[in-house]
Amino acid sequence: MIRTEGLSKKFRKVKDEKQKTLNKKTSYEFYAVDHVTMQADDGEILGILGPNGAGKTTLLRMIGNLMKPTEGKVVISDAEGGEITDQIMIKTMVGYLSGNTKLYHRFSTREMLSMIAKIHGISKEEQQDRIQEICEVLDMESFMDNRIERLSTGQTQRANIARCLIHKPQIYIFDEPTLGLDIISSESIIEFMKKEREQGKTVIYSTHYMEEAQYLCDRIVMLYQGKIIAEGTPEHLMQQTQTTNLRETFRALIMGIGGETDE
Amino acid sequence: MNKKIIAALYKKEMTDILRDKKTILMMIVVPLILYPLIFIGSMALSASIMNASTSSTYRIGFDQVPEAPELRTFFSEAAKEYGYDFLYLTPNGLQEEGNGAVITVLHEDGENTEYATYEEALKNGYLDAYLTKETVGAADGNQSGEVYRINYLASETDSQTAASMIEDMLEEYRQSLREERLIEAGLLPDDILYPISYEYQDMSSNEETMGSLLGYIIPFLMITSILMGAMYPAIDTTAGEKERGTLETLLTLPVRNLEMIMSKFLATSTVAVAAALLNLISMGILGAYMYESMQAASDVPMEFNVISYLPAIFIMILCVAVFALFASAVCLCVCIFARSFKEAQNYTTPVMLVFMFAGMAGMIPAVSLDGSTSLIPVVNVALLIVELFKFHFDMGLIAMVLFSNVAYSLLAVVIMTKLFNSEDILFGDGTGSIRLLEKRSDMKEKQMPGIGDVVLLLSILLIALMLIGSIAILKYRAYGLVIQQLMILGITVFYCWYIKTDFKKVFHLKRPKIGDLLTGTLLWVGTYILMMTLTVLFSAVFPGSAESAGQDLLNIWENAPIWLVILSSALLPAICEETAFRGVLFGTLQNKCHILVAVLITGVVFGLYHMNLIKFFVVGFFGCVLAYAVYKTGSIAVSMWMHFLNNLFSVLLTFYEDQMASIFPILFREDPGIGELAIFVMIGVILFVVSILLLRRKHFNALK
Repeated sequence: MIRTEGLSKKFRKVKDEKQKTLNKKTSYEFYAVDHVTMQADDGEILGILGPNGAGKTTLLRMIGNLMKPTEGKVVISDAEGGEITDQIMIKTMVGYLSGNTKLYHRFSTREMLSMIAKIHGISKEEQQDRIQEICEVLDMESFMDNRIERLSTGQTQRANIARCLIHKPQIYIFDEPTLGLDIISSESIIEFMKKEREQGKTVIYSTHYMEEAQYLCDRIVMLYQGKIIAEGTPEHLMQQTQTTNLRETFRALIMGIGGETDE
Repeated sequence: MNKKIIAALYKKEMTDILRDKKTILMMIVVPLILYPLIFIGSMALSASIMNASTSSTYRIGFDQVPEAPELRTFFSEAAKEYGYDFLYLTPNGLQEEGNGAVITVLHEDGENTEYATYEEALKNGYLDAYLTKETVGAADGNQSGEVYRINYLASETDSQTAASMIEDMLEEYRQSLREERLIEAGLLPDDILYPISYEYQDMSSNEETMGSLLGYIIPFLMITSILMGAMYPAIDTTAGEKERGTLETLLTLPVRNLEMIMSKFLATSTVAVAAALLNLISMGILGAYMYESMQAASDVPMEFNVISYLPAIFIMILCVAVFALFASAVCLCVCIFARSFKEAQNYTTPVMLVFMFAGMAGMIPAVSLDGSTSLIPVVNVALLIVELFKFHFDMGLIAMVLFSNVAYSLLAVVIMTKLFNSEDILFGDGTGSIRLLEKRSDMKEKQMPGIGDVVLLLSILLIALMLIGSIAILKYRAYGLVIQQLMILGITVFYCWYIKTDFKKVFHLKRPKIGDLLTGTLLWVGTYILMMTLTVLFSAVFPGSAESAGQDLLNIWENAPIWLVILSSALLPAICEETAFRGVLFGTLQNKCHILVAVLITGVVFGLYHMNLIKFFVVGFFGCVLAYAVYKTGSIAVSMWMHFLNNLFSVLLTFYEDQMASIFPILFREDPGIGELAIFVMIGVILFVVSILLLRRKHFNALK
């Protein structure tokens, strides 16, 4: 189980777009993520939805400890009920994937996986088995030893998922994992998430595809201007707003507080 | 710090670097192919120039020289000994003396060229040089001298060579005449012309001679090639990683800042050391090749003991390795803050220039390795290599150089780890800190300079002061001071104008209130007393430092009228130095960091600028006070006024000693009592505190 307590991030923003310098006078501070307290349980897929600029990526980066929060903290509770807040420890328990996590072009998938496994402190023998296992699961045998720069988009995405899997994380954080992928590639990712949920893993993921979220997510957190504006199961949210699908729910929620959707 | 993680990351960095063709190119092609090419090419070039100049025949002429036939015979005889070859020409191609008539040159194809004079023939390249003769000083008939004039064109290489050949011939001719006349007078020429003789005996071994020669070239080549070796991997592992988007991936792994930077540092150093060793090997092979070819060419075989170089080479490899660490650390420091490959390359160019200049230290005769130069980065390595090749092994100094390089590198790594904030670099918005690098048309009106701008401006000022300022002072003394001060003002204002700075804001241009000026005066009196106290204290700690500074100024002021001294040492510094230090420097820092930090940095830089140990502390303190006054009053006029008062007072103390002594006896008391001194210092402290409180109060009121 992973939870956030009053997690916030402040950014500086220039008042005037033409201004290049960032200092006290030309810019102001604002909360990109504003005291978000939420929780994702084991065996649950938690969807983070919201319009562009709502703070989804910043929130996920902080949960994955890529970014330090200005206020608040991220806590992982393990099976024995112990609480983990150490940055490095959390990173070993989290698999993080986003459009910005690019792979080392000059490596082959196998080399990259064994490098990452080594950093996670996995022993040599276990590495081999693990890589072989992942390779079979994701059907990567044909391109395991090719340099990543020669792989297709779909193959690269699979290699990227393999990267998150190698250390058997308890929690997955996926930032728009299906963005820009064809139907078959996205389906393989969705299947993967479902399979991991069955094994009791936690998946936190953000997306702009409402149909996907409606079908996949156990619970949804709706983010707007850094704040949670709604939270619950898709059905619950639809009931609340008296809509029939999540797309309309989304619109109703955002419009309801005077916002604009980018959809 | 987890060694296993560093090892894994190191392996990753190395694989990443080595699989990049550009790195391999820089590492292997440059040392192994380019250097030999440059060397052999330049050797071939110089050899061909040498051959060309000695082997060709030079065309010379005699213009109205009566004894021309005699000279020609003499030249032809003497030229054999020198290996010179002359063709005696007249402008019309005949081997006769011209006499100013129109002369025709017959070409093989029947075309004719006419040269009216020898001069015309020289200027058109038909002649390389010609000789004329004049008789001078014969007016009273007693002493007459004959002057031969060698006419040549300094702009033509051939003409220059021909002229110096003729000079040699004339010297021989003079010698022969001398001997002839001595014999005529019945004297023995050898007794009179050569009463004693001398010759050279080179007591240094061949190895030492060769070593001192190598010591000039190798440091520079080594330093440059190591830097080249370090630069590319440094850019690739930092800005390159960021640009390729893998830095975010790296951050998802359980890796600490120190581990990440350490592995990048080690990988960069490895490549730099490898590049350096390849360079050494390449140079070694080249050296062996040159040695062989020299052996083959010379008749006397040179005794050469290669073994004797081994200790020098061994220490040099060590030295190269630690320098590679240092170069890598510096490159990483610069590149890690860059957001793109291009930006990183921009940042490394100045580093490259600084390193190259420092690498030339070995070529300056007066600079040698000692306790203090062994601590200056880059320079110490250059000087150490020079020493090694001279077979001077001072183990203490060698240890110092090696140790200081390692220490600087580790320090740099630690600082980088502290400063490196992956968030800012990874998710930052990409605004650089040096405005000057932007296109001027892109610059925003009324902007504030960045920290990078201030550093750049201060470096320019420092270089200008050292190069132009010091020469101006040496040459024009007090006027030189005026030039120096105007230069500070000029460069500062120009820089700020160029980057379109908000002048009013950065320079604190505000009409001062009378009250502020009065408070400033009071503050200065207090500060002055404290400064005097500090001077006395520090003089006890560092004797000698105070006198040297005072003496320099006295030399400059010598014989200068009092108005000039006041202008150059009080009024202008108050305006110009304040513009630079309390203007640009403080004005920029004020917006970037905590006010106390800004005040402190301004003080330290102002102190350093005075380049004297005691002054550093005393003037540095004054600099802080001035910056604080500007901060509180918001007007640079206040600090200018205080600065002026301060400098004026010093001038008056020197020039009107007697009058000042009667007004301020305490300042001149030879041996004041402790009580008196304590009261004096007390007054200073009270004035200082009261005026600071007054300034704060003012600010407080303004806030209300």
